Amino acid sequence: MAQFKPGREVVVVGVGLHPFGRFRSKDLATLAREAVVEALKDCGIGWREIPVAYFGHVYYHGMSVGETALASLGLTGIPIINVENACSSGSTAFWQAYWGITTGMYDVALAFGAEKVPGGPVTVTAAGSPDRYIGGDHMMAGYALRMRRYMEETGAPASALAQVTVKARQNAALNPYAHRKDTFTVEDVLNSRPIADPLTLYQCCPTSEGSAAAVLCAREELGRYGLDDSRAIRVVAASLTSGNYNGRGSDHSAFSPYRTEPAAIQAYEMSGLGPEDVDLVQVHDAATIGELQQVEALQLFPKGEAWRATVEGRTALSGDLPVNTDGGLLAMGHPFGASGIRMVHETVTQLRGEAGPRQVSNARVGLAQCSGAGDVTTVQIFAR
Amino acid sequence: MPESSRNSPKSVDPGRLRLDGDQTLAGTLLGMRCLDCGISVFGQAVFCQACSSARLEPVDLSPAGTLFSYTIVRVPPEGWPGPVPYVLGEVELPEGPHVLAEVIEVTHEALKVGMPVRLALQEVQSGESGPAFMVYKWAPATKSAPGNGEV
Ligand SMILES: [Zn+2]
Repeated sequence: MAQFKPGREVVVVGVGLHPFGRFRSKDLATLAREAVVEALKDCGIGWREIPVAYFGHVYYHGMSVGETALASLGLTGIPIINVENACSSGSTAFWQAYWGITTGMYDVALAFGAEKVPGGPVTVTAAGSPDRYIGGDHMMAGYALRMRRYMEETGAPASALAQVTVKARQNAALNPYAHRKDTFTVEDVLNSRPIADPLTLYQCCPTSEGSAAAVLCAREELGRYGLDDSRAIRVVAASLTSGNYNGRGSDHSAFSPYRTEPAAIQAYEMSGLGPEDVDLVQVHDAATIGELQQVEALQLFPKGEAWRATVEGRTALSGDLPVNTDGGLLAMGHPFGASGIRMVHETVTQLRGEAGPRQVSNARVGLAQCSGAGDVTTVQIFAR
Repeated sequence: MPESSRNSPKSVDPGRLRLDGDQTLAGTLLGMRCLDCGISVFGQAVFCQACSSARLEPVDLSPAGTLFSYTIVRVPPEGWPGPVPYVLGEVELPEGPHVLAEVIEVTHEALKVGMPVRLALQEVQSGESGPAFMVYKWAPATKSAPGNGEV
């Protein structure tokens, strides 16, 4: 099925992040703009040199928020596209920016995302949908169904799942941008308030506010814009998939969840790299079980083995394959439109060697993966 | 489909659940089967999910299946009209589709992946004064023994 014709080499030249948390005094457009300003400053490109921008967000805050956010930097008349693709909205905006450049249409592109997620359980359908009465529309309940299957089939103990949160919090404690920075023991995680058994509160990502931005450029045009090649990070793959018929409809099985496996296969094919080349990973850990399933679907660990790797510390910052080095969704929080670009920010920061106390040594190749409703999955691979 | 009397509750989704006759607690889960590739889906469809064929026929799905997974939801989604906590079950039907619904008439301790379940209908009031709907649920296939209290 895959039909790729990648063209010009694309690099990320600038990244920017607004801390994740609760910022009631800032509206969505303000949050979004602040990350953009950071990303522009990071690479030194002027706003008026940006020829196209893609903005990821989900919750409704009025029309054309992307335009509103960028208008405050000065009106330049460029195309600005608002992207909604559930939890993958930000990474889809990034995907579009990548393809805009590699195909030769633009030399430079801005991808940014922001969100103010309301509190309480996240649902997919609109209010009044029959699924609200039936009881199945509940994001964390879906993760709980997957978690029970995974535990039944692999023998993973609850403590192994809790360890995913323990690790996420340890990483976040080293990250000034994280929503949640206090650290926990396995017991703290297991004893936190039950949400949907076997998931407890600390195994679910917080609903958050925040924003992230990235500036991309064609590598061959860096000089023309006066951009620094030594801090540029190559985008060697960017894939995006949606749902495929699985024979089941609602499916919360232990393995091959979501569309991660096909998205990963496409990305490995595009990059000419394999799972064995990856030095660090950011995955969609909206719940603890998500991280284990995603790293297995990315073929980074054998099916049913990620829980053991987690317990052995292999996915910790000091392990052989660090996962969610900035705290992930579990500790950074999850502003839908921003999360995918937050992963780009962390990967680029690590590959530049600028991650400070959470720096992964000798990081050369980083992978970022995001999943969303509609079985949307993005995978990007970056290389130094 | 027989005309329901004015006061009897309607199906929560007539595309997924047909109320049968004037027995208030009888109904059938509805699906579509592809005449080209043979797969069945739960609910209505115009084109086949697997092969995009438009040659689909309506089918009555089995009223029994097995519990594929379950969770006890302690923080319900906005708009949930039932008790808290509630058991959410994912049930595999013999025709293939998985159907998510509340599991009733069972203690939390009795829940087990792989247990046989049967379709059960329940009248649900939406909100304080909203309309009542008939909602499909799952219940253990074997009747609980007396004294095995319901939750
Ligand atoms: Zn078909």
